[in-house]
Amino acid sequence: MNLRYVFQELTRQRRRTVMAVFGLSIGIALLVILNAVSLAYHEAARAPLKEIGADITVQRPGNVPEELSGAVFPCSAVTIRRDEIERIGKVHGVRGTGTALLLWVFEPNRAWIVLGIERENPIGPSILRNFVTEGRYLAAGKPEALVEAAYARQFGIKPGDAVSIAGRSFPVVGLIDASHAAKIAVANLYLPLPEAQAIAAASKPLQAVSPFALGDVNLLFIRADQEKINSVASALKGILGDKVAVATPNSFLKLLGSFFAVSDKFTLVASLIAVLIAVLIAFKTMAGNVAERAREIGVLKAVGWTHRNVTLQLLAESVIQCFIAGILGLLIAYAAALALGFMTVNIPIPWEMSPTPHFLPGGGATLYKTLRLPVHIPASLALFAVLLSVVIGGLTGALLSSHISKIKPSEVLRHE
Amino acid sequence: MSEAILVGVDLTKTFGELTVVRGASIAVREGEFVSLVGKSGCGKTTLLSILSGLERPTSGRVTIAGKEISGASEDELALFRRENVGFIFQSFNLIPTLSAWENTALPLFPIRMTEAERRRRAAEILDRMELGHRAEHLPAALSGGEKQRVAIARALINNPKIVFADEPTGNLDTATGDAIMAILNRLHREQGMTLLMVTHEPELAKTADRVIRMQDGEVLS
Repeated sequence: MNLRYVFQELTRQRRRTVMAVFGLSIGIALLVILNAVSLAYHEAARAPLKEIGADITVQRPGNVPEELSGAVFPCSAVTIRRDEIERIGKVHGVRGTGTALLLWVFEPNRAWIVLGIERENPIGPSILRNFVTEGRYLAAGKPEALVEAAYARQFGIKPGDAVSIAGRSFPVVGLIDASHAAKIAVANLYLPLPEAQAIAAASKPLQAVSPFALGDVNLLFIRADQEKINSVASALKGILGDKVAVATPNSFLKLLGSFFAVSDKFTLVASLIAVLIAVLIAFKTMAGNVAERAREIGVLKAVGWTHRNVTLQLLAESVIQCFIAGILGLLIAYAAALALGFMTVNIPIPWEMSPTPHFLPGGGATLYKTLRLPVHIPASLALFAVLLSVVIGGLTGALLSSHISKIKPSEVLRHE
Repeated sequence: MSEAILVGVDLTKTFGELTVVRGASIAVREGEFVSLVGKSGCGKTTLLSILSGLERPTSGRVTIAGKEISGASEDELALFRRENVGFIFQSFNLIPTLSAWENTALPLFPIRMTEAERRRRAAEILDRMELGHRAEHLPAALSGGEKQRVAIARALINNPKIVFADEPTGNLDTATGDAIMAILNRLHREQGMTLLMVTHEPELAKTADRVIRMQDGEVLS
């Protein structure tokens, strides 16, 4: 193989080289971008849960409250017992759990959505500490409350005021703007979990629908090994029953409804088509190129090039050409990824995961988590694409060159 | 008298039903300039291909520099040509993407040597062809005569024992053709180059030491 000859052939037959490189690079770019977009949708689907430090959320649906007075459970979230949580904590693949208690509290003149939260647990709604806009976050061991900023504005509540819930009074120590937070488990009023549990345990309407003891909750957040999320989700049904509502990144992916999100198979098939197109373009262009050069190959053999010399020369041209195409395809894909990164994606949050009573303003509206589509090209995908180009070049080059280099010089030089 | 460097004995070549060369025998001595003449289609180019190892005979044997090549494989023939044979074609057959010096060095590309050495050898021969100033030019930028001089340089770069020329002036005008023949004659006279040239022009054939005539695939004299 002579690199000078390779270089001169590729640079001086510029039109032919550009056509081959451009054709293949489009196929490679398609392959990369399809996979990058698919990965982006998968990552976007993880965002709502990731923002509350969890991989899985668990709720147990129950009966509709018989009467809407005092503290009740939303029908989407009834009691998950402490012993059940302890069993879940031991499931293989579970790395940690967080809990919360979601209540509707109906006062004579006002309805509250109340969320009891674990103050320090990084798995679950304690992430809200980052969204305190006024006042401070909950202090350890104190019966105090945080109010959602929009709700506080609507009802004129300020830090330093006291709010009365189910016959208990709580000083308001801060306001929280949850509009930019995860849309899961949002409420009007946030209390320390033990305070919310005490309210729930003392509520007769609530106990009538779903017996509740101190230490029980109705929202469970689980952090799990990524590759075991599905098996953990299956194990949860074994512990909490088939009706349990388990939300995983896959649940959100299905809600997104995009081809990329719904089906890995679509990405696979589309990628295969892109690769096939790339291979066909490379093969067709190179086959034309090699056929045009039959006479040249005859000359090479006449002046003493062996079958191996000719094969290696053509193979090197093909591999280098396809390597350049791979790099160009990657650059096109990076540019496309940059452009696609400006797209936003709206991830619908099921009502069950942040239930607002339907008779309250906005109660039936679907909440969306809106974020920029996180399109990026992982190094492994980039490397794969370039390697694939080289392999395509190698196979195509090997096939064509081994065929054409069998030419007998006398056959192509005879007819002068 | 010097020994025969090229010997072809009882050579026959058939393509299907068609016999192109019939029992041709030929011998060329070292340093000799031989013309092979005959009408178009008489089989002279095929015989040249057989004698140079580009084509295998259907029967008969060819010996160049004491080595019989009739039964050699394609790759053995290629290596043999690289070391022993030079070719000059009617239509030059230069590689369009390579410059004059690169075309000249083409037989050296598969040989392990530095680029500087290849370039030096090519430049030396191009200078002898009075083409040193055109070394970096592509074939498209060369005249017909210049192209054929590059082709001659390419044929000589491996110091061949014998050069085969197939109608070397066939694509050139008379003046340019004469100039090319002058170069070939000079190489033969001054450097003792052994040359077997196929031509259909009797006038050109006369410049050789010896003329061999062909008719209907047979060698007449």
